[in-house]
Amino acid sequence: MSELIRKQAQLLPPVNEAEDLEEFIRFEDEPRSGRLSFAEILKIAWRSIRANMLRSILTALGVIIGVAAVVALVSVGNGVRQNVTNRFSSFGTNLLTISSGQGGGGGPPGLVRGGGAQTVTLADAEGIAALADKRISGIAPALQSNSQQIKAGSNNTTATLIGTWPDYETVQNAPLQAGSYFSSDDLDKRRRVAVIGTDVLTELFPDTTASALIGQSIKIANISYDVVGVLKEQATAGFSNPNSNIIIPINTYLQRIERSEYQGEPTVRSIAVHVTDARDVTAVETDLTTLMANLHEKTNSADYDFNVRNQAAQLESVTAVFSTLTLFLGAIAGISLLVGGIGIMNIMLVSVTERTREIGVRKALGAKPRDILSQFLLEAILLSCVGGLIGISIGVIIAYFSTKALSVPLVVSLPSIVLAFAFSAAVGIFFGFYPAQRAAKLDPVDSLRYE
Amino acid sequence: MTSPVLSLKNIKKVYVMGESEFWALKGVSFDLYEGEMVALMGPSGSGKSTMMNIIGILDNATEGDYILRGENVSDLDEFDRAEIRNAYIGFIFQSFHLLPRLNLLENVEVPLTYAGYAPRVRRDRALDMLEKVGLADKRRNLPSQISGGQKQRVAVARALAMNPALLLADEPTGNLDTQTGNEIMGLFHKLNDEGVTVLIVTHEAEIAEQTKRSIRLRDGLLETDQVHKQVRPQLQGAQRQEAGLAS
Repeated sequence: MSELIRKQAQLLPPVNEAEDLEEFIRFEDEPRSGRLSFAEILKIAWRSIRANMLRSILTALGVIIGVAAVVALVSVGNGVRQNVTNRFSSFGTNLLTISSGQGGGGGPPGLVRGGGAQTVTLADAEGIAALADKRISGIAPALQSNSQQIKAGSNNTTATLIGTWPDYETVQNAPLQAGSYFSSDDLDKRRRVAVIGTDVLTELFPDTTASALIGQSIKIANISYDVVGVLKEQATAGFSNPNSNIIIPINTYLQRIERSEYQGEPTVRSIAVHVTDARDVTAVETDLTTLMANLHEKTNSADYDFNVRNQAAQLESVTAVFSTLTLFLGAIAGISLLVGGIGIMNIMLVSVTERTREIGVRKALGAKPRDILSQFLLEAILLSCVGGLIGISIGVIIAYFSTKALSVPLVVSLPSIVLAFAFSAAVGIFFGFYPAQRAAKLDPVDSLRYE
Repeated sequence: MTSPVLSLKNIKKVYVMGESEFWALKGVSFDLYEGEMVALMGPSGSGKSTMMNIIGILDNATEGDYILRGENVSDLDEFDRAEIRNAYIGFIFQSFHLLPRLNLLENVEVPLTYAGYAPRVRRDRALDMLEKVGLADKRRNLPSQISGGQKQRVAVARALAMNPALLLADEPTGNLDTQTGNEIMGLFHKLNDEGVTVLIVTHEAEIAEQTKRSIRLRDGLLETDQVHKQVRPQLQGAQRQEAGLAS
């Protein structure tokens, strides 16, 4: 056919006037690519989107919501995970935690709890302390209350009570800004002394500095305690706030807070053991497991009613849970993106039927099937990509505000944005192709006659 | 000029609907020569529309050869048909078929766009064509803002844009009042005088009488092929040959 086209180009039309002839020659000499340029296809597609602006926006809305949901959920999920990771890292990798539960299995403590009875006791902690060598730099069994009413004069607030040993400072990396931790003597004598978090300080004594507070008294469950130390401000993490903690001797805790349940050997929530050198962690972990087995008189590891975990393993399992959760949320959001794609396909099919005549005219004027295909395909892709970009902006805005509300860091995950955008473009191609192909295959004769 | 612009040889077209076959064209032959102005006539069911679609390369014939400017174009795929239509055939429709969202200039540019001309070339050429039909001053208007007669003029400008071998008009005055219709016929005459080959598909005898030659189909066959009186001198040879073929 190119032969015929070339001939046509060479052929001079029979014209009467000389100036017309010149004009024709000029036109015929102009280069022609023989194909519709991409810019032209883009222009045609954009025009038809603009012509039905409301419909286009409603069509793109499905993709906008889908992409926004993916970006927002993944960003918030990553933010929470990042936050938890930061928390764990701040403890260092030298920490071993002994908690109740069936040996080996079980989720990370703090996330999956309850179920089994508390089996780790204060006596276990004492047993470990008695046998501890210099590889161990601190042991802190801990009990923790729900929110408690705290009073000082006319001010009151709520705080979480933690009953523990003085080693808590080293073990949980909770240094003081003023005063000191309670002593072993305080512990043995069950003195009513307390180390308070900064939030407790500002709530109860808004006008007092930390150092001036030492020796003041506060009331916990209507019993007064002397403040001996104030914690440094710590980073808030997830759903717990270490700044509203009050730390008291564990023996005091057992007597005053848990007195009604005090029967038999007192159990603790966990025993944290701090290892001096990170290289010894694995060895100490093994030794602690053996020691605990002896203390509990268990010979078969399947019968163990305790867990010894190191930070790295805990961090790993927490991260795994959050990754799965994030992926799951992202997948749910992805489904809405898919639904958005079906919306695009639906509208494109309507649009092709509506514009059958236009397609016929374009074909009569020389549009090739691929020109019509590109026109409609690009329209669908344009809809989904513009929808994707709007969705990304909305998603980032949502992520910004929700991470702020949850006070976790904003981790805008670039891969999730790129993925969401690529996915929305793919949705446009996938769901736009069938309608576009239908348009391209329309018979020019039939479509010209279509009313 | 002795070789015809287009030559149809024993064109047949069958439509198959399930078991039954319908022969819309049962073997039609005729030639069109450079500078002719021909009316293609026939009652409905005569195969007139089918013939037009084949001449316009919108459709392939089932049998027979269609020679356009010396090349056989009777069996092409849709891609090549589109290319040939674009370069050789200027369509004019009864209901104008301008694209409603494009302004007049852009409407005239459409075939040039599909040919792949640069934007500036397209614009210049389209403006020239609009000037030719006297509507250059309305180039920024949308089709909805002009009258039927003006729309058909724009359609003529669009059909001429690629400097086609054949201007193929399907009932071009069908949707117009008599006076406007006559104006459009006047425009065809003017273009024909400049050498443009025109084929008008019509069922109106009045329109056919204004052309130089009428081809009449009936039941899928050529009924008459008749040269009218006022014959332009330079075409006599060709037309005589054509008349001989028909009688």
